[in-house]
Amino acid sequence: MTKTGMIDFRGVNKWFGALNVLRDITLSVEPREVVVVCGPSGSGKSTLIRCINGLETIRDGDLVVDGQRLGDPATNMTRLRTEIGFVFQSFNLYPHKTALENVTLAPIHVRKIPRAEAEQAGRELLAKVGLADKVDAYPAQLSGGQQQRVAIARCLGMRPKIMLFDEPTSALDPEMISEVLDVMVAVAEEGMTMMVVTHEMGFARKVAQRVVFMDAGAIVESGTPDEFFSHPKTDRSRAFLSKILRH
Amino acid sequence: MLENFSFRTIVEYLPLFGQGLVTTVWLSLISFAGALAVGIVLSAMNLQRGWLFRVPAKAYIDAVRATPLLAQLYFLYFGLPRLGFVLPELVVGILALSLNSGAYVAEIIRAGILSIPRGQVEAGVASGMTYVQRMRLVILPQAFKVTIPPLLGQAIVLVKDSALLSLISVAELTRAGQLLASDRFMPAEGFITIAAFYLLLYYCLKGLAALSGRWLGLQPARSST
Repeated sequence: MTKTGMIDFRGVNKWFGALNVLRDITLSVEPREVVVVCGPSGSGKSTLIRCINGLETIRDGDLVVDGQRLGDPATNMTRLRTEIGFVFQSFNLYPHKTALENVTLAPIHVRKIPRAEAEQAGRELLAKVGLADKVDAYPAQLSGGQQQRVAIARCLGMRPKIMLFDEPTSALDPEMISEVLDVMVAVAEEGMTMMVVTHEMGFARKVAQRVVFMDAGAIVESGTPDEFFSHPKTDRSRAFLSKILRH
Repeated sequence: MLENFSFRTIVEYLPLFGQGLVTTVWLSLISFAGALAVGIVLSAMNLQRGWLFRVPAKAYIDAVRATPLLAQLYFLYFGLPRLGFVLPELVVGILALSLNSGAYVAEIIRAGILSIPRGQVEAGVASGMTYVQRMRLVILPQAFKVTIPPLLGQAIVLVKDSALLSLISVAELTRAGQLLASDRFMPAEGFITIAAFYLLLYYCLKGLAALSGRWLGLQPARSST
């Protein structure tokens, strides 16, 4: 067996009906590595990271996360998910819970951390994402950027080993993007293993060790941010970059 | 024309109407509790992926919704004794209302649960919650809110349907009206009075629905940020 990363795709394929959404994906993410995934819409980026915590299932190939093979009867998926934070494009905060309750819900009920301790940690996390004054606010009272920061704090509350971000800034107004990216940079600098689906190149240049470019379900190109943005190797990545860099 | 209308007789019969009203209220309450129990079980069965529970639940709901309540009531009242189950009429009445209303309640609950966006389920899944935890902590508290107004609507229907129990001689409100109508041959007085009482019950439930709507819908207003 070859070396095992934190996340290991080996020859992974996935179909939606007749559509081959993931084609022979082989990719290894090391502990503490930050990988940015980009590519045109429909290229399979979101599907790729949704497979990692089992929101999508794979058809064939191997996917090993934190040493556990997905789909293996010995793998407790529910337990594995507690080690993986997932940040959604549309935040998906619990609307009937306050910011603090959103952060403490899973730690209390899933991790079985005592309430007082979870609340203390939750307040600290909300302070860390700059929302110390919004502890008791409901999601509907928060802006998009604030909601996404609560969502990140909600993931951190579980003390995950891996964090996955599915276009975390795509649903945000432009002026709110940087407040979310700043939090993500801080998380990356603390050594979190991260996979981030995003087109935010500033973020990629700042913290990513690697950029993976996908098209039509396959990984077309992969390299350091500098290599990828300055010297894209394929026509498809050049065409893609010229579109997102034009304006 | 109205000189024949006897308010005095209505007043004379008020104690009987009072008893009928009380009976209608408590048997409706018990039947609605029964309907909630039936509805919760049916909706849980109906939401399963496997057919083993889903198909019987759907068949039951269709059967109830496709047949008249009166036919269901007569089946339980006249049919069950022939099959060897003899029950007091009050029990048959409550059973009929619970089983009938339960089918509608099941659909209300199912619609409430399905109205919660998929992203809420995924957020629960992604944070490592089990199915039961997701239901208890994330889905049901949100679904509860949206189901309260239609459930109270169903409660109003149930109260009106309980009038059918007069046909199996349960001494509820409509039965009181029938007694006045037949004892004194005063159908106008008898039935206008029970109508007034049903209207009263309706406004009580409607008031409750409005109150609960305001109370549960208390989403804090979006503040400027």
